[in-house]
Amino acid sequence: MKQLVSILDGNTFLVSDNRGDVEPSLDFPTGLFSFDTRHLSTWLLTLDGERLHALSVDTAESFQTRFFLVPGEPTHYLDAKVSVIRSRAIGGSFAEELTVLNHSGKEMEFVVRLDMAADFADLFEIKHVRRKMGHTTATVGEKELRLAYRREGFHRETVVTTSAPAHVEVSGMTYRVRVGPRGEWTTRLHVSTIVYGARGVDIRANLPLYRGSRDPDAIRKEQDDLIAQAPKLGCDCQPLAGAYRQSLTDLAALRYESITLGVRLMAAGLPWFMTLFGRDSIITSLQVVPFLPELVPPTIMMLAGLQGHRIDDFRDEEPGKILHELRYGETAGFEEQPHSPYYGSADSTPLFLILLDEYERWTGDDKLVRGLEAQARDALAWIDTYGDLLGTGYLWYQTRNPDTGLANQCWKDSWDAISYRDGRLPGFPRATCELQGYAYDAKIRGARMAREFWGDPAYADRLEREAAELKMRFNRDFWIPERGYYALALDADGRQVDALTSNIGHLLWSGIVDESRAGRIAEHLLGPRLYSGWGVRTLADDQGRYNPVGYHVGTVWPFDNSIIAWGLWRYGFRQEAGQICGAMLEASRFFGGRLPEAFAGYERSVTDYPVEYPTACSPQAWSAGTPLLLLRVMLGLEPQGEHLIIDPAVPEGMGRVELLDIPGRWGHVDALGRSRTPHDHPRGR
Amino acid sequence: MTEATERFFASLPARAPAVLRSPVSGTLQIDLSRDSSRTVHWLVRLRPGAIEVSRNRGPADAIWYTSEEMFDRLVTGRAQAISSVLRNESSFSGDVVLFLLFRKFFPDPPGTHDPREAARTQLGRLP
Repeated sequence: MKQLVSILDGNTFLVSDNRGDVEPSLDFPTGLFSFDTRHLSTWLLTLDGERLHALSVDTAESFQTRFFLVPGEPTHYLDAKVSVIRSRAIGGSFAEELTVLNHSGKEMEFVVRLDMAADFADLFEIKHVRRKMGHTTATVGEKELRLAYRREGFHRETVVTTSAPAHVEVSGMTYRVRVGPRGEWTTRLHVSTIVYGARGVDIRANLPLYRGSRDPDAIRKEQDDLIAQAPKLGCDCQPLAGAYRQSLTDLAALRYESITLGVRLMAAGLPWFMTLFGRDSIITSLQVVPFLPELVPPTIMMLAGLQGHRIDDFRDEEPGKILHELRYGETAGFEEQPHSPYYGSADSTPLFLILLDEYERWTGDDKLVRGLEAQARDALAWIDTYGDLLGTGYLWYQTRNPDTGLANQCWKDSWDAISYRDGRLPGFPRATCELQGYAYDAKIRGARMAREFWGDPAYADRLEREAAELKMRFNRDFWIPERGYYALALDADGRQVDALTSNIGHLLWSGIVDESRAGRIAEHLLGPRLYSGWGVRTLADDQGRYNPVGYHVGTVWPFDNSIIAWGLWRYGFRQEAGQICGAMLEASRFFGGRLPEAFAGYERSVTDYPVEYPTACSPQAWSAGTPLLLLRVMLGLEPQGEHLIIDPAVPEGMGRVELLDIPGRWGHVDALGRSRTPHDHPRGR
Repeated sequence: MTEATERFFASLPARAPAVLRSPVSGTLQIDLSRDSSRTVHWLVRLRPGAIEVSRNRGPADAIWYTSEEMFDRLVTGRAQAISSVLRNESSFSGDVVLFLLFRKFFPDPPGTHDPREAARTQLGRLP
């Protein structure tokens, strides 16, 4: 696979090859995208008709890159008479500076050419190409090329302008330039992506927070300001320090302005998931709330505002349900895809309640919990009504949109993710185990909110009673006595779907596991079948569908491991939690501190390094949130009333870990921890 | 204006206690275009548990623009509000919370059944 280079600012992003070129691609979203539409599908530089090659690429920052290029094949590098520097940045729009450097002692003439095209493909059309329903036009101006797409009222434009004079055609721009001895020539190209609204103005101009295009300094300042608000980490462990810094930067870069909603939300992951997901944004929020609590309320508000209110089979929507995915592109608008929004997830609703409660416990922002009482009650009601599809006291899922809906509506949502031990797939509906854990936790937390903020102790009692009943029922129906773990799911007949999976770790996090069984679960999670040495695999390596590079059937997901570590901690397995924390942070070193979406489930002793999953999204929000949650687990940070409990258990060999200025209802506090091992010299705090 | 739209606005005050349960108040102007020259205006003042409907124009905290025909499809459940915005058949300016709240008055698509009945019938668990 060719190495790809990405820059992003919010949900505008550019993916190119390692010389900065974009060529039409049918399998991977390369090009310039904004709000789920590809605004450049071709962006290809030649010098005297020849492609260029990269000597080096500077990718130090998320929003800008610099390519150092020379013409010809690698063998010719040594006596290059000319080179090109391509500097680009993204900040709402895309800007590129091209500089041609003449290294010879005489004046030279060059033909610099940029091929340009925009197919205005919706992100969903990348893998499933079809004829566009609208029409594209190209208009040539002086120093400007305007590419437009219209389908009824849907109107997108790409406007490319150049600072230096060029010969502009519908297919690109050509420069015939003379460069003096040891001289240079430069042009600046600017590419605007325009989303037209009803009155023929860029919709984003009406957004209260829209700042238009920004220069790199403004982006850097915004990222720095955000990072400055986060607690300061001091530690001996270099991978931890690097991962923490990278995570904060990536989380800052993934924030975007919702086109329809006018608030700043967190995109889930580059390049496929640059939009609002219920599950991803909630899990990311849970990970970041101890560090950057101000990122959380816009997500909670939008998920509440877009809560389902009607029964809509196309969108798998029901009253009270929290959304799965919101998209902004043509296929969502014209209802060729259901993401307007799509509600096909069974976990986003209980997770929403868990986040709302967790956010208040950290921040003391009871106004939000009081203001969202109606939405929270509707979400709790959904769990017991539409969520319990079969009326058996569990959360079930089955899509009502077989064409474009999701078959699996839990975090492992690929088609083969939910299987029996022998690899068979169960029928529908399905009730996966972690959904029941989330429902249990949602009821416990709902009870706290009802008692403390909604003035309804009777409702609180009822929710607690229901939670206790659910826990008893769950431990009866999901536990597989002869195997010593919980079934992955129940099938429609109530039979156990008996694969051994990482989902059992989520059960620890939820607190639905009987104390007497928690030890068995911890043993499985850290045992050889699930634990690869780099983390817990999604599926144990002796199961029928195990595949070390199968998306949800054998890979290791950092976010999954962060939740599992949280669960182990909850049940007192500090050493086991620390083992996962340590392994994840060691893995992060191989990715420059940026944990990818997933890596392969190969045994650590076989590969010596974590192998990235082939098409993993990076950066991805809940992977970026992972080091933050791991820090919380290692330092044992838990709000209790008006105070923050700090109970560190730092893994062996990690040395000193100190987190300063942890924000919350207590103001700011510091947490200090250090590992105790024979070779750590004891030092006073 | 369409009869369905008239009936829809007439039904709102009675439905408000069940639909408007959030502590949100504000005024939403709805501009429905009939053809290129004529626009029909509705003004709804939302507050917890109640709604006032009039045929005035602003001042409003938000304005929602669409066609009479489109609105007729929304109030009969044949179209969905947010996709209409994404394809630019509707647009709005101002406080988005009011738009998200008001859309809760729109009904299910025609012919919708409770998904629980469908799932249980499929498994032979209902008569």
